Amino acid sequence: MSFPNPPKFLAKILRSLCREPFYEELQGDLEERFYRDCKDNGPSKARRKYNLEIIKLLRPSVIKSPQNPLPMNQLGIFKNYFTVSLRNLKRQKLFSTINIVGLAISMAVGLITISFITEMENYDTFHNKANRIYRVTTTRTNHLDQSNEYASTSLLAGQKLADEYSSAEEVIQIYKGMWGDLERDEKLYRFTGHYVSSNYFNVFSFPLISGNPETVLTEPNSIVLTEKLALKIFQSVDVLGNTIKFKKGTYTITGILEDFPKNSHIQVDALASISTLKKDEEYSHNWEWATMWSSYVYLLLPEDGNPEMIKKHLADISKQENEKASTFSMHLHLEPMKDVFPGDGKYNEIGPTMTRSYIQQIIILTLIVLFSACFNYANLSIARSLKRAKEIGIRKVIGARRGQVFNQFIIEAILVALFSLVIAVGLFMIIRPYFIDLTYSTRQTTTLELTPELVLYFIAFATIVGILAGLIPSSLMSGFKPITILKGMSIKGDRGISLRKVMVAVQFILSIGLATLVYLTEKQYRYALNYDLGFNTENILNVEVQGNDPEILKTAFSQVPEIISISQSAFIPSIGNTNSDHARLLDDADSFPTYTNYVDVNYLKNLGHEVIAGSNFTDGASSDQIIVNESFLRKFGIQSPDEAIGKRVRYYQNNRTVIGVVKDFNYGTIYNRIEPFAFQFNEDRFDNLNFKIQSKDMVSTLEKLDKIWSEIDPNHELEASFYNQQIQDYYQHLEAKTKMYGLLAFIAISISLLGMFGMVVYTTEVKMKELTIRKVLGAELVNLIVIISKNFSWLFLIATCIALPTSYYLYKNLTEGIVHQMEFNVFELILGALPIFIIGCVIVLSQTIKAARMNPAKTLRDE
Amino acid sequence: MKGTYLGEFQEIVLLTIIVLNENAYGVSIQDEIEERTKRSVSRGALHTALTRLEEKGFIQSEYGGATSERGGRRKRFYQVTSLGRDALNEAKSVRDELWNLIPQGQ
Repeated sequence: MSFPNPPKFLAKILRSLCREPFYEELQGDLEERFYRDCKDNGPSKARRKYNLEIIKLLRPSVIKSPQNPLPMNQLGIFKNYFTVSLRNLKRQKLFSTINIVGLAISMAVGLITISFITEMENYDTFHNKANRIYRVTTTRTNHLDQSNEYASTSLLAGQKLADEYSSAEEVIQIYKGMWGDLERDEKLYRFTGHYVSSNYFNVFSFPLISGNPETVLTEPNSIVLTEKLALKIFQSVDVLGNTIKFKKGTYTITGILEDFPKNSHIQVDALASISTLKKDEEYSHNWEWATMWSSYVYLLLPEDGNPEMIKKHLADISKQENEKASTFSMHLHLEPMKDVFPGDGKYNEIGPTMTRSYIQQIIILTLIVLFSACFNYANLSIARSLKRAKEIGIRKVIGARRGQVFNQFIIEAILVALFSLVIAVGLFMIIRPYFIDLTYSTRQTTTLELTPELVLYFIAFATIVGILAGLIPSSLMSGFKPITILKGMSIKGDRGISLRKVMVAVQFILSIGLATLVYLTEKQYRYALNYDLGFNTENILNVEVQGNDPEILKTAFSQVPEIISISQSAFIPSIGNTNSDHARLLDDADSFPTYTNYVDVNYLKNLGHEVIAGSNFTDGASSDQIIVNESFLRKFGIQSPDEAIGKRVRYYQNNRTVIGVVKDFNYGTIYNRIEPFAFQFNEDRFDNLNFKIQSKDMVSTLEKLDKIWSEIDPNHELEASFYNQQIQDYYQHLEAKTKMYGLLAFIAISISLLGMFGMVVYTTEVKMKELTIRKVLGAELVNLIVIISKNFSWLFLIATCIALPTSYYLYKNLTEGIVHQMEFNVFELILGALPIFIIGCVIVLSQTIKAARMNPAKTLRDE
Repeated sequence: MKGTYLGEFQEIVLLTIIVLNENAYGVSIQDEIEERTKRSVSRGALHTALTRLEEKGFIQSEYGGATSERGGRRKRFYQVTSLGRDALNEAKSVRDELWNLIPQGQ
């Protein structure tokens, strides 16, 4: 058995810090212990222990004393740096507050990102054989010639791989279709489960509390419950041998599983043996090539195995099977476990997911905010440097070298960053719940718990931020010439100005760009919500039938006076789900994909569809009647709506007759073009009721509905949502984006305005004498304002010119998939940048006026 | 050289080295102490104790063979010097004396 190597990061620190004579012994001892712990307690525990040991080793007797060419006591000078830094922070309260708060806000964002990444990268690492576990995924090309990537695959692939090839050590099949209610003593317990192969635990290291991992899933009708579910049902985990009912089957409990670790991408309440399904005729289609929607295949690579070999075998299998299939083709791929979570956004994931691209987006946005804050610190520090110039001069005259002055300011920056860290952690706690709430997948997968490991990362992060922020001002300030300073001449900071101009410009570009992005995303979101679908969704309440008889429900609910009308449908359109098949006119050879929904006679009227030719379905309509939309006519070359009536169409394996035409409406989302569509009439397919409600008191109406529901079906909750709410839920990802961009834009803009403030203060300070002399000579306030604001206006203009087209282009790229785009003109974009400009003006004005009001005698007294 | 005072932990380390005889190196000492005293000992704490003991001249050390599970690094074996044994005896006799001084019947 081979074990993972010990973690490298801290070991490297030990290597560089440890005194040479001790290193070999200590590192050897640690490694020996690590391998033994691996064997005894598993790799993750061993790793933690190893890291802890290293941290405990970092003590004076082990660490090298700093190499120092001057045999001087460095501690004293560091103490001095520390004191001076503190004094300076105290003396310039305004600047210090701006600096610390600015850094703290951006660092809080950084902390969120660090803990988020750490948590995501930690997924699925607890399996002992994690690096040998692979998953078979599928590229399926359907009858419309569209290809999609699926995390699921056909169980047949797993079966064949196990039976006919020997390249994989273990192959496990998983069928996801086990969810609903478990029954015990006539009580129902909602759960989700997987049917899995008997060698499940040879691959995954989920620990069992009781039961033998080798055999628990061998017999048909065996079930293994998690501790949580067992406690819920039996109030005990000592329940081996008990039976429990699910659907038609009775299952024997053969084992109890510890609850799935939070960082597992597989999350269920129970595992049942897949042999249960194998003996059941009803499920035999599960092992057909075409069935791939809820089944998964995982495999274990032999220790000396070659994934290429398995890939080749998978290619063989798909080649054999595709030859038999006519309407679709599937290609199998091999995906290592580490790429499963976070993944690349495949369809049909086995559980909650997180995409890599989302994580990358977060990282980029965080970096933007962080850089902005670092620039800001640099700017303000340089602005303050005038006040520190004398100190630097004297230090240098006394004998400080450039490097020492540099160190001093770096240390000061780190100190500020560490102060900020304290506030940032507070902010982190405040932002955390909002961040987790941002999207569905973060709610499902993210906790952002603080761990000791994380605290270490945080401190390291603060130090790095401090160094980054301090880099520019330190190198600038340590370059001051003592003679110039001490002669009493003011520093023009020639080198600084151009650099700082660039920094301010970059900040402006970032904040204007973000502001524009927020504006556009927000607008797109509003547009999506208010987009005219072509039918009425106002006051429509959709209720899931949940397996009950829709007629009974309909009769019961029609008693409620607030319900004006009731209709039934198979799907709820416009919230992301679509169904389609190829349709073909009987007297024509061309066929086109045509979308569908099954509805009853009331549906079209209830949802306000406009019938422009022919008629609606009538009572006793037959299931071969269809009502098509205008796009259908266009696609099939039918000239007028009336001409369409009576056309015979081959659709869903039957000949059907067009009896009506409705106006085009959007059954998809803003991401779909409107394609041919046909309503069908089929009473067996009604999974939803659509109530049109008119009520002054919605709450009590809903309570009434709830009561009626619970009389008919006491076992399930009423699942009812307003149509508009469902649409809003579908576009929740846009809302999340708006929120995220909004928050980050707000932060970036605040920070850059702070930076601008700093720069204005600096400029007025430098130009104070000039301004005063001008004033004495009779300049008006306006002239002074022009002098100060000239530079900023230019910067702002340039920044706007770069930021607007860039963000527009970026936005276009990001929303490429949206077919129904909102319209907007370029002037609107400028509106987004306007508030920043106005606040900038206010800052410039206030500072200039302050400078202009100063008594000239005060400033010129020195001369 | 600091005095010959022997701390409680240092005493345990010294005794453990004697007990382990030929096989006293970092990991084995750490394990033995953890097993005997039922408390966890960090390698860092052990290192400090060993360094102090060596400074006082109570132990001496030499490098031994390398094994693969140590990444090819050599072990460092410790031995108690006669000075170390004297110090242990001294500590023990101080304690014995004190034990003997406890009034009977308590």
